[in-house]
Amino acid sequence: MPDLSFVFAQSLSGLTAAMFLFLIASGLSLIFGVLRVLNFAHGTFYMLGAYSAYQIVQWLGTGPVTFWVAALGAATGVALLGGIVERFLFQRLYGKEELYQLLFTYALVLILSDVARIIWGTQQKSVGRPPGLTGAVSVFGATIPDYNLFIILLGPAIALGFWYVLQRTRIGRFIRAAALDRETLGALGVNVRALYTGVFMLASFLGGLGGALISPMRAIVPGMDTEVIVEAFVVVVIGGLGSFWGTFLGALIYGQVLSFGILFFPRFSIFSIFALMAAVLIVRPWGLLGRPLK
Amino acid sequence: MVRSLFLLLAALVALPLAAEAQKPIKVGVPMPLSGPPALFGEPATKGAQMYVDEINAKGGVLGRKIELLMRDSKADANEAVRVARELILKENVDFLMGTLTSAEGPAVSVVAKENKIVFIAPIPKTDQLTAADKLHPYVFRVAANTTMEGRSAAEIVAKWPVTKIATIAFDYAYGQDVTRSFVEHIKRLKPGVEIVDQQWPKLGEQDYNPFINAQMAKKPEAVVSSIWGGFFVTFSKQARALGYFDALKYNFIGLGEAASPETTKSMGADYPVGIWGNSYDAFYWEDNPGPHKDYTARLSKYLKDEYPSSWAIQGYIGMAFLAEAIKKAGSTDSDKVAKALLGLTIDTPIGKQTIREKDHQANRGQLYGKTVKDPKYAFPIMKPITYVDPTKFMD
Repeated sequence: MPDLSFVFAQSLSGLTAAMFLFLIASGLSLIFGVLRVLNFAHGTFYMLGAYSAYQIVQWLGTGPVTFWVAALGAATGVALLGGIVERFLFQRLYGKEELYQLLFTYALVLILSDVARIIWGTQQKSVGRPPGLTGAVSVFGATIPDYNLFIILLGPAIALGFWYVLQRTRIGRFIRAAALDRETLGALGVNVRALYTGVFMLASFLGGLGGALISPMRAIVPGMDTEVIVEAFVVVVIGGLGSFWGTFLGALIYGQVLSFGILFFPRFSIFSIFALMAAVLIVRPWGLLGRPLK
Repeated sequence: MVRSLFLLLAALVALPLAAEAQKPIKVGVPMPLSGPPALFGEPATKGAQMYVDEINAKGGVLGRKIELLMRDSKADANEAVRVARELILKENVDFLMGTLTSAEGPAVSVVAKENKIVFIAPIPKTDQLTAADKLHPYVFRVAANTTMEGRSAAEIVAKWPVTKIATIAFDYAYGQDVTRSFVEHIKRLKPGVEIVDQQWPKLGEQDYNPFINAQMAKKPEAVVSSIWGGFFVTFSKQARALGYFDALKYNFIGLGEAASPETTKSMGADYPVGIWGNSYDAFYWEDNPGPHKDYTARLSKYLKDEYPSSWAIQGYIGMAFLAEAIKKAGSTDSDKVAKALLGLTIDTPIGKQTIREKDHQANRGQLYGKTVKDPKYAFPIMKPITYVDPTKFMD
């Protein structure tokens, strides 16, 4: 039996991973829930968020707030790019066959990753942890880096904010209505086109923020886009595509299974995740908290 | 009149023959030029190109220029095989020099064998490439192999005052082989050693926290890692945040070029200074044989980089062996060049290198050292640098 401090440390590292995945997968889930497009390029927005944060840190140099400015700036930049992509490209995809959507978003992945390679080259980039969060605290004998703690707190904060906007505000009502019946909403005088652009920008913002915030913990390299999109897909498939709390739950499960999986199957931790996904797909093909598609 | 007509005819007939002799020697270079492995593939091709440019400026080899034909192998065995075949069949290349991963190398080796074309591998490390059952007359390696790298690490760690050792490596050919070589050799050198933990994240893992926690729970005194390239950046950032290196008192050695200037440069102050690591080359390697300094200066100019890549040298040495073998053979016939490569010793920027006759493997050691801060650079360097010559423990 492993001792308690180790179990605690392991569950917290799973929680950190989960909150990052939630940040990224929630954008993916939101786009699918409202626009009904599976956006493969979401991982690319995450990668661009990381590269942009690196770039802004390079420009600003090291200062107490540099990292936070860079993270927000990067996420905003990615949101703007998302807005442009939606306005000029995605708008033509709505209602088309899924195959076209898939091919299109995949083409976007290839093009944007080459653009990133032209701008930033193939050398790995790295961003340091923000000053003030470089330390670690000791809880129950387990070392928890301050930055991980911050991420663990940020995840639920974003989830609650999200929930509040969706459930308690006018915009949120429109977004939920658009997910259910776009035509009727349009007939009632709501500018659905603008709403779609807004939703896409919000989702891109979350993806870009995820990339920027993960940069102190990972190397920024070409290829990080396709890695993360696979993980995000697993999360939304487990939780239920389009379901907000489902994504949250899916991320939590993913993080814990990965963390504790290595204790039971030291060389097959990733196997446990996919086994879980397969099981969910067999029992509830629409995910744990999702609704069956009509 | 008739006589001059004859001369003219003779000249016309001879001209294409002369042109034939002037045709460049074509060398196919399958190498990952996209995705994360391009980080090493790209500089390696540039090193090869620099060698070729230099030798062409001196008139080439056997009076012919060398021409490199680069193709993106995408770090994928199937793609590497496809481009290697295309280079041979369509482009009629005379030789192959390239590949990076331990999946690509052995795959292209089969193509070289089928087509009876000399193939020099500058980077793949897997022992299988030149293992007795896979070896054939046309494959050669100028990289280190997993046996040499694992044993070099054991030679270093055996001198540390530690007995409880743990390992962490990616769960695939390179990680497994290098770890096994290390464990076998250290047990020979220091029988009291105990391997207290072994972690095997999947290749390309992004979240090392669970592995690091699990390893720290076993309280090792030292760790041998072969997490390479950009993955080491991710790993060490997460490990440092968890106090892993402090807990190990920096008794940590990063194989897979964890101390290459590229890696320390990209991490700067975030690098876990004090750990040990290795690298194929280092531009700041000052107490080294003469030609290295000159090579570094030329490379720096060629790449327009003050701190040039440590991977360029692998492409450079690969091409140097090929060119010297062609010279020695006096021919571009692959059978003759393959024979010339056996036991061939050449001067390289890092000193003399020899391709052994028995397994077609060069005695390529690597640079090892403890990383320290140096006021001259904004990033840590290895100091002092030890070139671990593997000649004694290659078998």
